[in-house]
Order: sequence, then C-alpha cells, then structure tokens
Amino acid sequence: MDVLFSQLVVLGSSLTLICALMLLWHRHVYAYTTAFAWQSVVLTGIMAVVAYFERDAEMYFVAALFLLLKGWVIPRLLRRIEQPLGDEQELRPYVNTATSLLVCALLVLFAYAVSRPLVALSRLPTRAGMPLALGLIFISLFVIASRKKALTQVIGFLMLENGIALLAVLGTYGIPLVVELGVFLDLLLGVIVMQLVIYHIRDTFESIDVEQLGRLRH
Amino acid sequence: MIFAVLLLPPLLAAALAALVKPYRLVVGWGTALLALAPLAGGVALCARILNGEVLTWGSGEFLRADGLSALLVLCIAFVAALAAWLGPGLTAADAYSAGERRGYRVYSNLFAFTMFLAVTAHNVGVMWVAVEATTITSALLIPLHVTKPSVEASWKYILICSVGIALAFVGTVLAYFDFVNLAGEQPAALNWTALLASAPSLHREVLQLAFVFLLIGYGTKAGLAPMHTWLPDAHSESPSALSAMMSGVLLAVAIYAIIRWKIVVDAAMGPAFSHRLLVALSLLSLAIAAFSLIGQRNYKRMLAYSSIEHTGLTCLGLALGPLGVFAAMLHMINHTVTKSMMFLLAGRVQQRYQSTEIAEAPGLIRIMPVTAGLFAAGMFAIAGLPPFGLFISEFALMRAGFAAGQTGLMALVLVLLAVAFIALLRNLNRMLYGMPPAATRTGENEPWALAPLGLCVFILLVLGVVLPSPLNGLLNRVVEIVSP
Repeated sequence: MDVLFSQLVVLGSSLTLICALMLLWHRHVYAYTTAFAWQSVVLTGIMAVVAYFERDAEMYFVAALFLLLKGWVIPRLLRRIEQPLGDEQELRPYVNTATSLLVCALLVLFAYAVSRPLVALSRLPTRAGMPLALGLIFISLFVIASRKKALTQVIGFLMLENGIALLAVLGTYGIPLVVELGVFLDLLLGVIVMQLVIYHIRDTFESIDVEQLGRLRH
Repeated sequence: MIFAVLLLPPLLAAALAALVKPYRLVVGWGTALLALAPLAGGVALCARILNGEVLTWGSGEFLRADGLSALLVLCIAFVAALAAWLGPGLTAADAYSAGERRGYRVYSNLFAFTMFLAVTAHNVGVMWVAVEATTITSALLIPLHVTKPSVEASWKYILICSVGIALAFVGTVLAYFDFVNLAGEQPAALNWTALLASAPSLHREVLQLAFVFLLIGYGTKAGLAPMHTWLPDAHSESPSALSAMMSGVLLAVAIYAIIRWKIVVDAAMGPAFSHRLLVALSLLSLAIAAFSLIGQRNYKRMLAYSSIEHTGLTCLGLALGPLGVFAAMLHMINHTVTKSMMFLLAGRVQQRYQSTEIAEAPGLIRIMPVTAGLFAAGMFAIAGLPPFGLFISEFALMRAGFAAGQTGLMALVLVLLAVAFIALLRNLNRMLYGMPPAATRTGENEPWALAPLGLCVFILLVLGVVLPSPLNGLLNRVVEIVSP
C-alpha cells in the first residue's frame, strides 16, 4: 500500500517539474499558462492521493479549493492579461534554452543535496518527493530571473507558490487550514494586483518586456 | 478589546473611503480621525505590557501581544497617523484627483491594518500572510500618479517582494515540517509560543535551512542587501506619505518577523548561527548604502539608501547580545520617527520644486525656511549627530559591539558610517544653499502641516537627551524576549 502511495506521489511530483520545464523550452507565452494550469491539476491529484491514503477530509476540501483557484480562476485571469497583448514570445531570454536546461538539471541536483536532512528526518511515505518540490522551487526562481516578459515572471512566481504547496503537502500533509486559506487569499489578490500593474506597464511602455524597465538605475 | 481598537479603525476607515462615492474631503478627515484610535490603543497596550501582562485574544490565542509586539504597534500607529494627517485627500489644494485621493485613503488604511495584523498575529503562518498582504496593499499605491518610473518601481516592488516573501514561506513550511516530525500534527503548531517551547528539541539542520530561507525572505522586505534592489525605486517613486509608511515602519515590521524567528532558532541551537548570518548581511547593507549615498543625485533615493543603512545597523545590533538588542530597538524607534518625517518633508520640497533631483532643488532655506530647518535637523539626525536620538542609539550600538569584543567589526562599521555621514551632509549643503530657480514661489504652503513634523523633531530631541522610563521599561521587556 505504502509503496503504491509513495510511487504515485513521486510520479506526480516529477510531472509538476516537467510542467515547469515547459517554460524553458517553449517560446510562446500562451503555452505557459497551459503548463501552469496542468501543473495545478497534477498537484491537486497529489493532494487527492494523500487525502485518500490518509483519510484526511480537510485535505479534500483544500484540494478542491486549490483546483478552483489555481486550475481555473488564476489561469482565466492570466488569459485575460494575455488577450490584448496578442501572441507574446520570449524571443531572446537572458539565458538561452540549452543553457537553461543544463542549469535546471544542476538545480535539481542541488535540491537533492540540500534536502538530504529533510528526507532523513521524515517518516512519511511521501518523503521521496520532497527534493523534487525543492527542485521546482529553485527552477521557478531561475525562470523569474532569466526571462524578460512580465507575464512569464508572474507564471514563474505562481509555479514557485505551487512548489511550496507541494513541499507542504509532501512534508507535513498540508499546513493548518487558517494559514492555507490566508495563502489562497493573498495569492488571488496578488495576481489581481500584478494584473493591474501589467496593464499600467502596457499602457505606459507599450510593451511588457521588462528590459524596457531600465530607467531607475543608479 | 485593545486588539479591536488597533485592528478595526483602519478597516473601518478603508471601508468608509471605499463606499463613499464620489470622494469627499470630509471622508479624508474621518479617516484621519480614525487613525488616532490605534495610537491611543498602542499607548494603552504598552501600559498594560509594562504592568507585566501578555495580551491574547481569540480561540487558540489567535492574536497575542507581548513587549515586542507593543513596541511595533506603537511605531505603526504613530506613522500611520502621521501619514493619514499629512497624506493626500485632506485639502482641495493637493496635487491629486478625487480618484487618487480615494485610492490613497482606501489602500493606506488597508496597508496599516495588515501591518498591525502582522505584529499581533500569534501564528507565524498568519504573520506571513499579513506581511505578504502588506506588499499587495502598498504596491497599488506606488503608481498613484501613473508615470513610467512609478509603474516600473511598482513592478519591481511587487515581483521582488512577492518572490522574497514566498521564500520566507518555504522557511515557515520547513520549520513546521520540523515541528510536526517532533510533536505530530496540532492546530497550534505554528503558534510562536508553541514553536519556542519545542525549539530545544527541534532538528538543527532542518531549522538552519529554514532560517536561511526566512532571513532571505523577510530580509528582502526589510531592505537588507543584496535583496534591497526594489527599495530605492519604490521609496523614491511613491507618494511621500506612502514612502513614510514604507520606510518608517514596513521595514521595521519585516525586521520584527526576522526577530521572531531568530528567537526560535537561537533557542534551538544557540545564537552563533543567526548572528553570523545577520552580521554578514548587515555589513553588506551598510557598505552598499554608504557608497550609494556618495554619488546620489536624487534626494528621495538618498533617503531610501539611508533606510538601507539603518536597517543594516538595526540588524547588526540584533547580533551583538542583550546590549545590542536594546540599542537596535531604540534605533528602530528613532529611525521610524526620523525617516517618516523626512519623507514627508521631502514631499513638500518635491511639491515646490517639481523635481527630486538634488541639483534642481537648491536654496531651500530661502524658499521654505521652516521646512528647510526641519529637513536639516532630520538630516543631522540620520547622519548620526547629537543631540538627536539616532546619535544615542548608534552610540549604544557601538558600545555593545565593543563590549562584545567585536573591535574589528565595529571599526569597519565606524568607517562606513563616516562615509555615509560625509555624503549626507554634502548633499544637505547643496540643497539648503545656492540660488533657487527664479520662478519658485517663496513661503510655506499648508503651514499647519508643519506642526506634526515639528513634533517629530521634538521627539527626536527628547530621545537624544533622556530615555523616558516607560520606554526604558518597554525596551527592557523586549530585550528579555529577544535574548533571554
């Protein structure tokens, strides 16, 4: 039983990581939203698996809310930001695709090294996925730092949040409900505010390339 | 009861401003009056803390206030009141439209609410939620006037701070993971007192990893180098009243979060680990701030870099034992008063000269003599000259450092402080004297607004001469909490 549980969780965690890699080899920003939505669906699946094996009713509730927010509401918001921009592309990111993939491989290795004490400490059957969650966090950070479109950075940030949610699910079967709800609220409001700022950027700079944002230096 | 006085008035004020459409000046005055309630609440809270109480409220002690919270509450309430009384939306003469005034009244009050919640929440997860919410509420206010630089500053602020704060959440989750592995799942597991009580038996390696994430995360928000890059932009491009709130207390709230976690980590593995990290980041902040001040051409950015410098000093004090903690907390209070005043004064200067370039704002002393006088006093204060409060706290910090045997470190800090000192006074000199542009109007506008700013200088002078015994008592309570 535990073996199946553990394998399902590791499979799911690997899938979330692959969704994050989409951001690195795909050029169309449009595809990033899809990748994020799928990643959220996979994460909901992991939560459901944990809820099923642990008979945790609260976890089903959190998973449902998670799916609603990150699988549906936020992707819709992202599409609404995209639409008026047309077909946005990451033409020349700060780091090219081949190097990016190499860096990500190194980041996952680094995540395994960093999370050794975590895996050693935990007794949960889900512990094998924790390095992958940290890997997802590091890769998201790399995406934010190496890509130029404001929208890509937002999706990188959302994937970072997914990585943290994954870490919490695998390490402790979720965090206390009151905090979880607060995090959801913050995330929703945060994305709405980011949307507003992106509109401002588009209206004042006529592009959402953050390379344009270089006047405040010194 | 006291919690209600702290948390409800800002919410009420925000709701009032949001619901009354179109915006009327009387709403602004209403919110300004409401901003006084938390100030009274903060004073009452401090009085009860001095009686030896620790206040809690709600199921599972949802809110909790000890000496450290009380100190922060007082700082937030003071700056929020200042920003409410001197911010946009009180007179028809300010340079804002009705929509902008309404936006300011709504979001600045929500901003104040989230800061109050951050320092009174018992659960460190809720504290995180509140700190993240401060970013959201304040990011909307930076581009109150939509211009290229303000939009850019806003984007940098929300992206860098959201990512930083997300890292703090990784740290929180890791610490929770550590706790759950020790004690099993409990609803109260993220309560700060529960964490502290179980700290000695927590797993050290995991907690070290967690603290690195927490320090980077909350350090981003506190403006510690090298995560400070959003700060000069956001502070220089926001409306001055918002800059005052951000520089005056938002940084202090982030430092508060670091302190809460430092206490837990120190209880688990002794102070050496957190002190090493804090000293390294503080020194880097001091160095970057001091050298950025030298070539500074923009007076609001100059004040922003000075905030980074003082954040560095405060965090340095935290790593210097009980004496250092005392000095750091006193420094935080002094900085709160000084910097909120300075940004509000800078706003007056900017309004008159229509520029934030130092070179384009000469002859201040002829144009607005009283503003110039207060500005000069504030600059002397942030440069660390007597007889102002910051001199005393910096002096106490130095003494704590030498007493802790960190002679080399303190010598380096002194050199950096001297660099910052020269840069600040040179810039002040360029602003006070010289020939003002011919078309600039002479005389103060809204002279009544100078009264609260004068009060700030008065407080600084008092703190530079004596340490009032209630404040001394409160600071001693904080020291007992932070380094037992």
